[in-house]
Amino acid sequence: MLAIEKVRKVFGATTVLDGVELVVEPGEVVSILGSSGSGKSTLIRCINGLERLDGGRITVDGFNVSKPRELAEARKRSGTVFQLFNLYPHMTAVGNVMLAPVEVLKLPKKEAEARARRILDSVGLGPRADAYPAQLSGGQRQRVGLARALAMEPRYLLLDEVTSALDPEMTAEVLGILAELARSGTTMLFVTHEIEFARRISNRIVFLDGGRLVVDLPTAAFFSAAGGMAHPRIAQFLSKMQKD
Amino acid sequence: MRYTEFTPYDIVLLAQGLGVSLALFLATSAIGLVLGTLWAVTRFYRVPVLSQALAFLAELLKNSPVLVQLFLVFFGFPAFFRVNVTPVEAALITLSANTAAFVYVIAVSGIESVGRDQIEAARVFGLTRWQVLRRVIAPQAAAFATGPLVALLVNQLQVTSLISVIGVADLTKIGNILNLRTLKPFVVWTVVGLLYYLAAKLVALIGARIETRLRAHSAWRGL
Repeated sequence: MLAIEKVRKVFGATTVLDGVELVVEPGEVVSILGSSGSGKSTLIRCINGLERLDGGRITVDGFNVSKPRELAEARKRSGTVFQLFNLYPHMTAVGNVMLAPVEVLKLPKKEAEARARRILDSVGLGPRADAYPAQLSGGQRQRVGLARALAMEPRYLLLDEVTSALDPEMTAEVLGILAELARSGTTMLFVTHEIEFARRISNRIVFLDGGRLVVDLPTAAFFSAAGGMAHPRIAQFLSKMQKD
Repeated sequence: MRYTEFTPYDIVLLAQGLGVSLALFLATSAIGLVLGTLWAVTRFYRVPVLSQALAFLAELLKNSPVLVQLFLVFFGFPAFFRVNVTPVEAALITLSANTAAFVYVIAVSGIESVGRDQIEAARVFGLTRWQVLRRVIAPQAAAFATGPLVALLVNQLQVTSLISVIGVADLTKIGNILNLRTLKPFVVWTVVGLLYYLAAKLVALIGARIETRLRAHSAWRGL
């Protein structure tokens, strides 16, 4: 269980997260919607320990990310995929995917490489496994980013606007794989602007506005007139997003 | 026999001088590279006191003439610490420390050239600071730093000529001796200069090879 309790995060005078409460159970796909600056990415960065909390508590399977000793365990259980890929440019696709399994899980190199090639194959990059990031398209790079996270066999996949830097065709490549993962029961926390896609794959949808969690509803209820749409801020956001 | 003539043995003398210059260059470069890199690592780990002290020492070494540092070690150390310093020891200490100071500056900028996103990407998967330094930062910093490092080493090769002043029989010292004997400065210093030039070219060539290898991953960039 991924538990976020009364989380507060402040940057200078700005409160970016203000008392956010959220629980993600294994097997769930939870999408986080909200306009830019609403705190979505910061929430992900708090879960994987890249930002220090200014209040509240986050636990991943009971491991508190604010305690240095427990953070390592928490990080082993969550895999992050970044908006701008953040691949290691000096390593091939296989090198990128096998680094953490070798260094952190202490897998023998051969085994880690076999695992890396298998996962790259499953995201359709088998033939490009030995290419460097600079030789790959944006969609291919993000699929490497996804494979890198999956290689750690995380219990929770944290996806931070993973298609925001991609054109529609490349977005489709990546979303196709995410849909596949959702069907196979991978737990995901999915920060996105792809509303239609979120609607298709999510069990629940959470809406953030100005660092506050406005609603946390089952997908169908979120898009119903009596549920999420009853909030003027959400109705406004959805109508704007769907016009584009 | 007239002593102002060149003899075949002079070539052996010049080769010996070149050997001494190259040996000192290689030894001080190796020590300087290791020391300078270690200094940069203490800065990466923000070791209190030590990292500030080393940054200050590097500042002193970078901003004072090598010749003055050499005199300080060769004449100053024996007087102050009451130890005997041979010319070769003085040359080794001075040139190694001087190279280390410049390597430190280049290594620090190399480490800082690696983006935060790279460090974060490795940290979220549970790599320790040391693993991040070794597997993610160092290879990228090395690719960044090779160009400046080769330029530095080519320059440090020329700087070794200063040690002739305290009596080390390097290439310049041999040139000086031949010059005094033959009284043909134009010939002697042209040959000596050419030998330094060839050695420097060799260093640059090896450096370029290493740089190409370290940057293999970005070979497609710019297409």
